[in-house]
Amino acid sequence: CTDNFESINTDPNKTSSAVFNPNYLLSQSQFEYGNTGYSQLLFQSMWTQVLASTFSYYGNGDKYVPSGSFIAYQGRVHEETYRAASLSYEMQNLTKDKPEMSNLYNIGTIMKVLCLARITDCYGDVPYSQALKAKEGITLPKYDTQAAIYPAMLTELDAAITALNTSKAGPTADLMYGGNVTKWKKFGYSLMLKLAMRLTKIDAAAAKTWAEKAYTGGVFSSIDDNAKVLTDNATNGNNTSGALRVPDDYREVRWSKTFIDYLKATADPRLSAIAEVSQEGYAKNTDQNLAGDNSEAIQIGLPNGYDLNGGTTDVAKHPQYPGASGSGADVARVGKYSRPRTSVFIDRSGVNFVLTYAETELLLAEAKIKGWNVGTTTAADHYKAGVKAAAASLAQFNTTASGDASITKAVTAMDAFLTKNPLNVSSTEASLKQINEQIWVATGSTFNFIETWSNWRRSGYPALTAVVYPNGFSNGTIPRRIPYKSTEASYNPDNYKAAVASLTGGDTFTSKIWWDK
Amino acid sequence: QKMSIRGKVSDEAGAPLYGVNVALQGTTKGTVSNDKGEYSIDAKAGDIISFSYVGFGVKKVTVGSLSVINVALSPENNALNEVVVTALGISKEARKVGYAVTTVGGEQMTKARETNVAYSMAGRVAGLNISGTNGGSGSSARILLRGMASFTASSPLIVMNGVPIDNTQRGSAGEWGGADNGDGISNLNPDDIESMSVLKGASASALYGARAANGVILITTKSGKKGKMSIDYNLNAVTDQAINFTDYQYVYGQGLNGKRPTNTTSALNSGMLSWGEKLDGASTIQFDGKSYAYSAVKDNIKNFYRSGSSLTNSISISNGNDNGAFRLSIANLSNNSILRNSGLDRKTFNFTGSQKFGDKLKVDLMFNYVDELNQNKPQLSDGPMNANNINFLATNLDQNVLNPGFDATTENGNETQYNDDIYVTNPWFVVNRYRNDVKRKRMISAITAKYDFTKNIYSQIRLGYDQLNDGIFKITPTGTAYSNGQKGGFDELSTASTSELNADAIIGGNFNLVKDISVDVLGGVAIRKNKYDRMAIGGGPFVIPFFYSPLNVLSFNRSYDYNEKQTNSAYYSVDFNYKNQLILSTTGRYDAFSTLPVNNYGIFTPSVSLSYDFTELANSSKLSYGKLRASYAVVSGEPASPYSTSQYYSVGSAIQGTTTGSFSSTLPNLFLKPYTLSEFEIGTELKFYQNRLGLDLAYFNRKTNNEIINGSLSEATGFSNQQIGTGSTQNSGLEALITGIPVSTGKLKWSTSLNFTFISNKIVEINGSGSDQQQLGLGTYRPLNANTALIKGLPGPQIMAYDYVYKNGKIVVDASGIPVQAAERTPMGSVLPKFYGGFNNEFTYKNFNFSFLIDYRFGNKVLSATNYYTIFRGLNQMTLAGRETGVVANGVTADGSANTVNVPAQTYYQNLARRISALNVMDGSFIKLRQVTLGYTINPKIFGNTPIKAVEVSLVCRNLFTFLKYTDNIDPEAGFSPILSYAGIEGNSLPSTRTYGFNLNVKF
Repeated sequence: CTDNFESINTDPNKTSSAVFNPNYLLSQSQFEYGNTGYSQLLFQSMWTQVLASTFSYYGNGDKYVPSGSFIAYQGRVHEETYRAASLSYEMQNLTKDKPEMSNLYNIGTIMKVLCLARITDCYGDVPYSQALKAKEGITLPKYDTQAAIYPAMLTELDAAITALNTSKAGPTADLMYGGNVTKWKKFGYSLMLKLAMRLTKIDAAAAKTWAEKAYTGGVFSSIDDNAKVLTDNATNGNNTSGALRVPDDYREVRWSKTFIDYLKATADPRLSAIAEVSQEGYAKNTDQNLAGDNSEAIQIGLPNGYDLNGGTTDVAKHPQYPGASGSGADVARVGKYSRPRTSVFIDRSGVNFVLTYAETELLLAEAKIKGWNVGTTTAADHYKAGVKAAAASLAQFNTTASGDASITKAVTAMDAFLTKNPLNVSSTEASLKQINEQIWVATGSTFNFIETWSNWRRSGYPALTAVVYPNGFSNGTIPRRIPYKSTEASYNPDNYKAAVASLTGGDTFTSKIWWDK
Repeated sequence: QKMSIRGKVSDEAGAPLYGVNVALQGTTKGTVSNDKGEYSIDAKAGDIISFSYVGFGVKKVTVGSLSVINVALSPENNALNEVVVTALGISKEARKVGYAVTTVGGEQMTKARETNVAYSMAGRVAGLNISGTNGGSGSSARILLRGMASFTASSPLIVMNGVPIDNTQRGSAGEWGGADNGDGISNLNPDDIESMSVLKGASASALYGARAANGVILITTKSGKKGKMSIDYNLNAVTDQAINFTDYQYVYGQGLNGKRPTNTTSALNSGMLSWGEKLDGASTIQFDGKSYAYSAVKDNIKNFYRSGSSLTNSISISNGNDNGAFRLSIANLSNNSILRNSGLDRKTFNFTGSQKFGDKLKVDLMFNYVDELNQNKPQLSDGPMNANNINFLATNLDQNVLNPGFDATTENGNETQYNDDIYVTNPWFVVNRYRNDVKRKRMISAITAKYDFTKNIYSQIRLGYDQLNDGIFKITPTGTAYSNGQKGGFDELSTASTSELNADAIIGGNFNLVKDISVDVLGGVAIRKNKYDRMAIGGGPFVIPFFYSPLNVLSFNRSYDYNEKQTNSAYYSVDFNYKNQLILSTTGRYDAFSTLPVNNYGIFTPSVSLSYDFTELANSSKLSYGKLRASYAVVSGEPASPYSTSQYYSVGSAIQGTTTGSFSSTLPNLFLKPYTLSEFEIGTELKFYQNRLGLDLAYFNRKTNNEIINGSLSEATGFSNQQIGTGSTQNSGLEALITGIPVSTGKLKWSTSLNFTFISNKIVEINGSGSDQQQLGLGTYRPLNANTALIKGLPGPQIMAYDYVYKNGKIVVDASGIPVQAAERTPMGSVLPKFYGGFNNEFTYKNFNFSFLIDYRFGNKVLSATNYYTIFRGLNQMTLAGRETGVVANGVTADGSANTVNVPAQTYYQNLARRISALNVMDGSFIKLRQVTLGYTINPKIFGNTPIKAVEVSLVCRNLFTFLKYTDNIDPEAGFSPILSYAGIEGNSLPSTRTYGFNLNVKF
């Protein structure tokens, strides 16, 4: 009478590996990697002074003071990105013995490297060689040094790209490239270029070798190659947009003064494409259906490090405070500052950018400046292509953006702008400064803030001034690392302890990771 | 000279008692009284005849010259009864039982009642530890028998009239919030309960197999008695009052960095922060733009919560004759929680019937129907929509300023925010707008047919079916600040069906093997099936405001859960009885679990117990009864849920037409096998001076092997949890029950009982690696800088928190003047008590009765989120030091020199709270006056010829007074979850309540 036990103990709502289509894990992995939501808004978007907020919930990012579920957010990249990697890794487990699915298998490797790179860039030494292997019995993975992780990632990535075969079937549930294997190859090499360039401070020789290899392999050639992940408000919406649509966030998250001032300094045509000032008064500031005024002249960035508390750090005490918007009871105190244009940036069905052609062009410009063997195109031309592409990429956010007149106008105006503001080749440092400032603009304006932060740490540009605000967690400096997820101390205690012991400065926001020497 | 003794056995009121055991002491001779209470037995002068009957004290009479002996039995002081109900519902004489059983009479649960009947057991049984949940009416109980038996120790198996019933926890709060949706035992109407017997040890419960690893509570419902028809009406009316345990500072008011609010935004940002200036009564702006006196407001808790009330009406009718008896009861509980707009409405209907068909066949039936609506189950812990944040208002902010919690001038009634955290919902918005209705309709039914083949051989077939239909209606109301466009959404409309089917068949007999040795034999088979089936829809945002239909949403979501499991079992029990003095019992059981891998699903578990009655051997006039007992038993267990032994993949929602898919982040385990718990127990029962003084003592030692654990993993492994089968817990303890009747005169009787339990617990192994450095994370609290965990070698669950760093005995302070946090979290003590028990006293004087119960708990720790928040928010008295001057921490810098850095108070205390979580670990010991009742029984004679037979009126009170506690600002018992993982973790639940009221009982 126990004959039916096996069928009783079989979940009728789920399938086995024999029936399941591993392609579906790719789309889920991509979605989870791309959809960072609050974890990047609360930290990196404001550490890099792309966005700013007077709202205390954003104190973590704007002022380096803990607020909200501060400790929980430290662990977000860890839990979300390892999960994304796990989905890809399992997809590989399901396809490794299926030669007809070799492209899916190799795309799994690329996805895994993409995920692990973000994790190590945020935390430093993390589990890599033993990561994701619980099913193989490794439940207490050792932490690898970042010095070991980078070469391993690059080697794995290289092998996977090489093995991609455009004559074989591509993935069928692909939120980035719709199954186009050629684009995956380009993405692989573009990712290789990005990872190579991460090493410029710590190991210039390795950076050169891998950057040249990536270039030879073939990186992105137009914005059509941009890596971005679709979302869908009806089912799995864009978390960053979702977070920014929370009424308080909507009312109080603004472009940073640092960012807007940079665009204004060169009369960058993108200003009208990205920024708007909401209509007068509190009620209209709050109404998410009302478009703002995006004329260039009135755009003002909100200085980081201010609040609305009426004390010395009240934004009204800032010398250039433009005054409140509205009058009487209907007052929005930060209403005159520029916000990200709602129609472009805050769409729950908007894409999450992963890596863009603009970035690869700008990184190639840097490689060229450094004299590396990355083709004949001049650094100035790479720079031009990159900046132009950054503007053009804005149209890819969503369907509204693709037909948006202000974006179209900005894209058209970029040639003239670039003629007026070409790459400064007067010195290597001047070029590097300008290139990396444009990476800051490119990634910041595509809301890819973790990348913005990593490239700032790597390049040192733009030169940001840390805010001064009491009660901070990073000794008055801009954070250069995220402390490990708090549960690591109990779930993987020995390895966690060993990892912390090798950190100069401890498990803090101020310790530097390996490539950020 | 043998003579025939005959007589009549009755109760104190003179009503005949049927089925009383009449035995000749020292022999195997015995009989039972008939339906008129009459008996006859052969004896000679000097023999002792003992009369015993369930619920009554044993009476022993020495035969003299009279041949007629009439006896009146007195209702039993619960600890002294002689017949106990044991596993499978078999009544046994207590002296034949080789393990600890304690019975609590139903009257203990009906007078001073709570909305969960389990709470009434607290303090009454040695070894039993009951913790409530501060989750509103009808919340769950954490019932632990003999400490933490295993990693997953939870409620004992609840058996009602011989049939296991469902006691599943229907959802509880975690660190991120949630509501307590109640458990199974809370559905029961206390008026229907005749008694509850607690089978503590493994051998007591061996015949129930897997689920009895945590012990068994046997509930016997009231049944009809042979005789005249009787009607019983009971009215219970009580009121609940929130107890305010807070003792905050009221010197400084709302504000930041030593400044009071100067505009609405800074008032909003400091709605829960009291880092302002000295309270001076000056008119100061508030978040609503109006100004109020900057003065202390101390009665927010009193004014925000209302007086709760519970009114229970129950009526029962019973009757019986020679061939059968029945009892039918209907009861209604109407409850208002102390939280406005929340309460419980419960209707119960209970029928028990018994009918004989001829001499050999007897059929028993039970139906128990429950219809429950729990309106607006409150959100607890640290999540949104939790009204209990009222506890943390700035010291000068009156809760009434938050009322009504929404903007009445806008169409959508947007929530009025009073602080800067959108997820800390305005408490008045919660009580005025939130809806979270939990419904249940439940039918527990059991039918038993017993057939006597001969006088000595019988068989019995029993079928129990417990069917629960649950519904949840939960919304995020229109206007909720954090919701999508402030439009709210439909969180859940669900229906769930849970069923538990138990069928068993046994055959048994009683034989005399040889002279003086008899044997009781029993063999049986059982099958158990559980099914769970739930469908839910939801979505958001609402299209039309305030129209709370799941169809009125922009986008939908749905979910469907199904699981099923089955256990097949066979068992036997053999008792050898030597002269009723020495009894050796053995049982064996084989279980096969569908939840385990096919080649590992079965296990055999044995038990053996020995009981020795040495009363006669001792031959002491002082000792009226003496028994020694010893037992050893093994029980087995299965994983909590099915489908954990293979990897599954599921299809997810599409994104722009592209399918997604995923798999569970819990790692499956293909090699699980049943876990086992083995227990050795030894004990004694002694009664002295004609039962006036009694002692029941037990020592037990038990250990689990191959425990199945859902352990947390670092996500770096690719999974967040895993099922592992390598846990081992050792748990030993000593429990004692001392009973006494210090005074017993005609008019005054004082009976008292004191019980206590010592528990020693140790986690032996967790992950099977053998390493000394093993830990298993359990729950956390929302500040996230401490957690509970199982630590190898230490009692479970330990609080893990960050301590200070010390150098030469002094606290080390960093360059910014703030104490340094230790490198890692260290164990701060177990959340479970080492020593606990109760002290119960009952007095009767003429027609008055008075009782009080004290219970106590020592040696457990509490992790208090409230404490963290009171420090962080400037409410705690410790934050007064250095308010205006700044704080120079009494410590040393890393190089050993004295710290001289002066830190502003807010900066200092907030960072201190953030770093040193050991500050929030407190001693949870307490002694409480749990219950007091004062009753008066009206002499039935005054009713003359009216149908009224008896009237009793009682004044009742629960949770009257705390004699001792060490926790500032909180009740040491406060908690938001009944789950062991969250035991000892406190924060943002409802206040504890004090209950007063009266009970009226009228018998017709």
